[in-house]
Amino acid sequence: MAASPSKTRQRRPAGQPSHTLGNYDSDNDDHVNSIYQARTSRSAFEQALDTPQASAAVVGVLTAIAFALRFYKINQPDQVVFDEVHFGKFASFYLTREYYFDVHPPFAKLLFGLAGWFVGFDGHFTFENIGDSYTENHVPYVGMRALPAILGSLTVPIVYAIMKETGYSTIVAAFSAIIILFDNAHVAQSRLILLDATLIFFMTLTMYSYIRFRKLRYWEFSVDWWSWLLATGFFMACTWGSKVNGILTVLSIGLAVLIDLWDILDHKKGHTMEHFTKHFMARAVGLIVVPIIIYLSFFYVHFAVLTHSGTGDSFMSPAFQETLIGNELLLNSQELRYFDTVTIKHKDSKVFLHSHPERYPLSYDDGRISSQGQQVTGYGHDDTNNEWQIIPTKALPETGRGRVVRHDDIIQLLHINTQTLLLTHDVASPLMPTNQEFTTWPKDDHSRHNDTLFFLNLVDGSEGDAWKSKSSHFRLVHVPTRVSMWTHSKQLPEWAFKQQEINGNKNPTEKTATWFVDSVVATDGTEALENLPSEVTGAKEPKKLNFFTKFGELQLLMLQHNAGLTASHPYASSPINWPFLLTGISFWTENDTQKQIYLIGNIVGWWTCVIALSIYVGIIGADLLARRRGVDPIPDEVRNRLWNSAGFFLLVWAVHYLPFFLMGRQLFIHHYLPSHVASAMVAGAVLSFILSDPINYPISIAGRMTRMRPSQYADLGVKGPVVVGIFSVVMFAMFIYIAPLTFGTPGLDGETVNAKRLLSSWTLHFAAKVVADVPS
Amino acid sequence: MRPSQVEIDFGTPPDTPPRISSDFEEIPYPSDHWAAANPKQEEFLPLHYMSEDTSTRRRVARGPGSPGGFMRDDEHEANIHYDDEGKDVYSKLRPAKGRVSSGRIHKPYPPPPTSISEFIAQNLEHLPPAIYTLLSCWTRFHKIGHSNVVVWDEAHFGKFGSHYLKREFYFDVHPPLGKMLVGLAGLLSGYNGGFEFKSGVEYPEEVPYVAMRVMMATFGVALVPLGWYTAVELGMSSWACHLVALMVLCDVAWLCISRFILLDSMLLFFTFTTVFFLSKFHNQQYQSFSFDWWMWLVMTGISIGCVTSVKWVGLFVTAVVGLYTIEDLWDKFGDLRMSKREQIRHWSARVVCLIVVPILVYMASFKLHFMILNHSGPGDAQMSSLFQAHLVGNDFAKNPLEVAFGSKITLKNMGWGGGLLHSHVQTFPVGSGQQQVTCYHYKDDNNDWVVLPKWEEPDYNPNDELRYLKHGDVIRLQHAPTTRNLHSHNIAAPVTKLNNEVACYGNATIGDFHDYWVVEVVDDVKQGSKVERIHSLTTRLRFRHQALGCYLRAANAVLPQWGFKQIEVSCDKENNPGDVHTYWNVESHWNDRLPPADVKFYRSPFLRDFWHLNVAMMTSNNALVPDPDKEDILASSPTDWPWMRLGLRMCGWGDNQAKYYLLGTPFIWWGGTISIILSLVVLGIYLTRQQRKYVDMDAAEWDHFLYVGKIAFYGWFLHYAPFFIMGRVTYVHHYLPTLYFAVLMFGHLLDHFIFSARWKEKTKRIAFGVIAFLIVANFWWFRGMAWGIDGPINEHWGLLWRKSWNIYNA
Repeated sequence: MAASPSKTRQRRPAGQPSHTLGNYDSDNDDHVNSIYQARTSRSAFEQALDTPQASAAVVGVLTAIAFALRFYKINQPDQVVFDEVHFGKFASFYLTREYYFDVHPPFAKLLFGLAGWFVGFDGHFTFENIGDSYTENHVPYVGMRALPAILGSLTVPIVYAIMKETGYSTIVAAFSAIIILFDNAHVAQSRLILLDATLIFFMTLTMYSYIRFRKLRYWEFSVDWWSWLLATGFFMACTWGSKVNGILTVLSIGLAVLIDLWDILDHKKGHTMEHFTKHFMARAVGLIVVPIIIYLSFFYVHFAVLTHSGTGDSFMSPAFQETLIGNELLLNSQELRYFDTVTIKHKDSKVFLHSHPERYPLSYDDGRISSQGQQVTGYGHDDTNNEWQIIPTKALPETGRGRVVRHDDIIQLLHINTQTLLLTHDVASPLMPTNQEFTTWPKDDHSRHNDTLFFLNLVDGSEGDAWKSKSSHFRLVHVPTRVSMWTHSKQLPEWAFKQQEINGNKNPTEKTATWFVDSVVATDGTEALENLPSEVTGAKEPKKLNFFTKFGELQLLMLQHNAGLTASHPYASSPINWPFLLTGISFWTENDTQKQIYLIGNIVGWWTCVIALSIYVGIIGADLLARRRGVDPIPDEVRNRLWNSAGFFLLVWAVHYLPFFLMGRQLFIHHYLPSHVASAMVAGAVLSFILSDPINYPISIAGRMTRMRPSQYADLGVKGPVVVGIFSVVMFAMFIYIAPLTFGTPGLDGETVNAKRLLSSWTLHFAAKVVADVPS
Repeated sequence: MRPSQVEIDFGTPPDTPPRISSDFEEIPYPSDHWAAANPKQEEFLPLHYMSEDTSTRRRVARGPGSPGGFMRDDEHEANIHYDDEGKDVYSKLRPAKGRVSSGRIHKPYPPPPTSISEFIAQNLEHLPPAIYTLLSCWTRFHKIGHSNVVVWDEAHFGKFGSHYLKREFYFDVHPPLGKMLVGLAGLLSGYNGGFEFKSGVEYPEEVPYVAMRVMMATFGVALVPLGWYTAVELGMSSWACHLVALMVLCDVAWLCISRFILLDSMLLFFTFTTVFFLSKFHNQQYQSFSFDWWMWLVMTGISIGCVTSVKWVGLFVTAVVGLYTIEDLWDKFGDLRMSKREQIRHWSARVVCLIVVPILVYMASFKLHFMILNHSGPGDAQMSSLFQAHLVGNDFAKNPLEVAFGSKITLKNMGWGGGLLHSHVQTFPVGSGQQQVTCYHYKDDNNDWVVLPKWEEPDYNPNDELRYLKHGDVIRLQHAPTTRNLHSHNIAAPVTKLNNEVACYGNATIGDFHDYWVVEVVDDVKQGSKVERIHSLTTRLRFRHQALGCYLRAANAVLPQWGFKQIEVSCDKENNPGDVHTYWNVESHWNDRLPPADVKFYRSPFLRDFWHLNVAMMTSNNALVPDPDKEDILASSPTDWPWMRLGLRMCGWGDNQAKYYLLGTPFIWWGGTISIILSLVVLGIYLTRQQRKYVDMDAAEWDHFLYVGKIAFYGWFLHYAPFFIMGRVTYVHHYLPTLYFAVLMFGHLLDHFIFSARWKEKTKRIAFGVIAFLIVANFWWFRGMAWGIDGPINEHWGLLWRKSWNIYNA
């Protein structure tokens, strides 16, 4: 360890006041006194750098560069990039006030909506595909991108301020800020309509407020103390409200507070239980009640803005949907009875279940043969061939509720025009040899009765639920073979009039095999239509629903969907890769100009952070071992700083990183960015430890009762600025080198792409082929 | 009252007659003896003379073997009146006075008994466990042969046992020790290995299934005394020891699982022994490096080795021992009075006994496994080709040695656990949609490939001159059953997305240059690195796709259900010459035109086989994931276990057969789970009270409380939490080892709060009576689950305590 004094000091006898000047501690402590306690022994350079003016100048320069880098060519590319598809779309839904559903809480997206509104965007553009042009569609995208760019730029001075408040020198604080400033991943993420810049901005603000709050611990219950406590709570709620992962920030602050409270509880502090209770209640208010109110208010605004029916309707319960204007879906919904004639629509591709007298050709192009049965297809338009009648397989009462079709009933579907029953069997479908062919079979021919039986499986249905038109989503699962009726967007050839293929998917719980009854053509004649809604006349008044009911439902759905995001994604990566920057994400490409945006960090900065983390763990481990053997290599003040402040950074890092190992959902490298910020702070702490024997101490605001301690000042000397100077030059050089991938401009030829592929695991586009390229 | 025996022989004082045993009481203690240092022995001291130790509320529990005597440890409690409600205003925890901080006091050995009655008196403490063991024999053996059909997993483990008797190589995901013991049981009972153990089939006359079951159940019988002695060693009061033993005796799930030819009774047995040896070892902590200390340490190591050799679940109890040892060593590390030499001795003793010994035991079980199974059998294909070649009955020896064009071959991947290159008519549902190519462990015709020349060259003609395969040859590999060609193209592989997909394309006449593979020789086991012609079995090959430059590779990525969970084959764009997953060798080889070469029997080295088999086991274990398409009625999720949401029907549910339902005794399971939760609450309360300077216990008691609590909680947690992370399908019997730790915690908390606390003797008796009654009555209520329920199940009343149990037919 470079920083430990040349001689390891023995632990002081317990209870001996360590700070009294002139105490006769061992001679080992003489040099400690001379270094730590004489302000004049600091180098002039150090003193000059630590003045408020110099600090302000440094942070000013850093902020200016941050803005420059994040706004540089922010209009490039003028196309939808990566998840702008989602978050841009959501922003425009706020402007059109159409209800949508997303797994993330609404705060950051509300901000985008606000930014969009501010720059005059009317929400007409729906961000359908990556690569859609903004300029052609007249979207004021620069204004919307400016929001994360501003927040991302401001993160840099906040990181600086955190380090400064924690007692590190200007130069160390600048070091941590530079790791963020020149980081390609942070820059790329901040220049686009994505949530992470907001998340990280509020996360750092939370940390900053908490540190300010913690430093006031000797001034408990003062106005300042309360202000910073409430600020912590407020920013915590904003972090959590920006993105689901913000909950990790809440968790890390929560852990820190628990440790804090545990210390207050300690009888050695001499506090009464009443005093403790007061502390506990204050934190409960500031860090639980206030954040929850704020968090709820985001949703309140969310529901208040989104009053119209939109893409998110179908995720919600019928009761919820009825609160949305224009959601006629539900106002038309009715219970279905046996012998009703209905049309059935596929939920995703919106085609009707259709059949016509034409038959499947005997053999297909690839040589497989069919059953030559009647075609069953998906057809996009209204047609009498879309009509099917629900046939029971059990005895029905003459009238009454017994005729209602329910969840898990076994039904047959009769095609009205050809009087044939829907059937599937173990014959490969025309386009997909793995799936089963759907066809029909004459009604009177009972030879294949079993193959015409289908379970009616309502999605999320439970026993006894009635089948309703419009609102009930269902899967049709074949009884003998357990395939579910499914369709996909591939068209059949000419012989089926290019209609969509319908086949049996072997997964009976396939999510995309969901259908609903679109309309009821004719109802079962035996029953009066008493439960039909009265004829819909004009727009119906949306119903009201309690806010907390809505909130609870949405929160639950968000959790479920978040856990359900398990589909594999080519750029998903496992958490172990992240700190080492093994894989990035391809955000956007343009083939003509060979431009691409690839989310990847500054490899110098990231590896520095990894090394710093391991050094930190090494120091702590070595200190633990040494102390276990009665050797005390680090002065108490320095150790406290290492444990408490750098330890807090490490806690934030760990809490924002380790839980991902337990998550089953698809994970991306940008989930690591909050942790990366924390690791940059650890890196600063480690650098300070290496470069300087003493630290700036004390830094907490002394209260009336606080015992004064002798001050000491960190002295990095000249080597500090030199080291950090060289480091920032290297960082900047690396930043510039990777910049074309970050800014998406200029285009790169294959050779350059290969050169920029610093690690073989980076999957860049337009790479020149190493081996002979043969056209396929 | 003094203990009647002392540890140290002080010799006979001169000029005195030879001692008789009753003289021992007269010998004064030396001043530094433990008994003299422990003021608790001095019960007649006046109150004002009372030391601080006795002023605390609780006392360290001792087992029935302690001087307090059998069931009588609370006699002098009544003398203690001093009580300041636990709040000690002067100090926090004081360091322990004596050296005995927890567990059972090291008991001096008694002098040899001189009469029968003395012998009985000395061994009175062993009477209850003996009785419990007899009871355990009764519950375990009662009606053990009642069901004469193959019940549940007897289908697997009985079959594996048969393989040992027939000495045929088989493959299974579990390590071999348990199954070898099954085989041994079969051998001892005279079974010839001829029965197929099909599930639900009636045992024929010649299969001595009762004897085999009895031998398996013997492991289950031993659980009860182990539970008793473990509780004793953990320093529980005799009341608590009785309860722990009763719970082990009366749990229906443990009983039920022990009564069949399954691995679980052995797994449980070795789990119990590990904890027992560990607690024995712990109680030797002040006699470091004594013979007993070494013995219990080595026994712990052996026990760890055995438990992991039965099932990998044993690794969890290994982790408990690991945590205990780490903490122990951390304490030792901080002990500055200890010399360096002593430190090193402690550390190396742990390394040798707890790491090296278990590994040796584990490897020995595999060595034995390979030695016994020396005939070709159903598991051949899981092993390397060289290993298979030395199995008796293997036909590789008939293969022609040198591969030529026109040869029909199978290709074996040489990565650990690699399979055979395989293709079948099913197609990829993703990517190109062409015919699937996979890696597969079972031998069938779909593994056969024919070596053919390029399309541009003249077709292979059986009458032409033989053309041997050489390094650098460009070939086409034609899948023999479907005549399609091994093909790769620039489409992402289904799982390893960065690699190219490998498929089968075209037919005997249709194809393109994407079917070309360049043969690259790596080396040859026999011929060394200079390889003239490619030999089957020994030559290691790589296949480079000529057009794309990628290498044929099969790592252990498993395809989804549509690929039948077989191993994905892809084409790796990175040329990584050291990657064994791109190495292949020719395994079977047919060519009528070549003479069958007498391949020498190559012994593949044991360590290689050992590692190969373990990787294969790991891969198969990971492939046992729940199938979302298939609802497995038997499987359950870990959240179902602690509260017994589900049981498990172990056999058919017909009216005329004996029905076994794997379900615990509710009182034990629920009590165990509650005590696990309660232990955390209690710990939190005690810690908070300490933080506020309340003294509930002195340091020794606190250490003891923590030590037992830690063993129980670590054990429970480490046996439970991993199941959440594991992707594989889980069953309720996976909770059975976990349950033991819940039971220990139950006993520990009962002991702490009732039997070792300062209650009136009468209160304790009543509490004991109630709990013991609940355990036994609960067991008696559900005994049929383990002993077999006859007749229509719905006629048995009152078994459905939770709606989710599927005991009754709907």
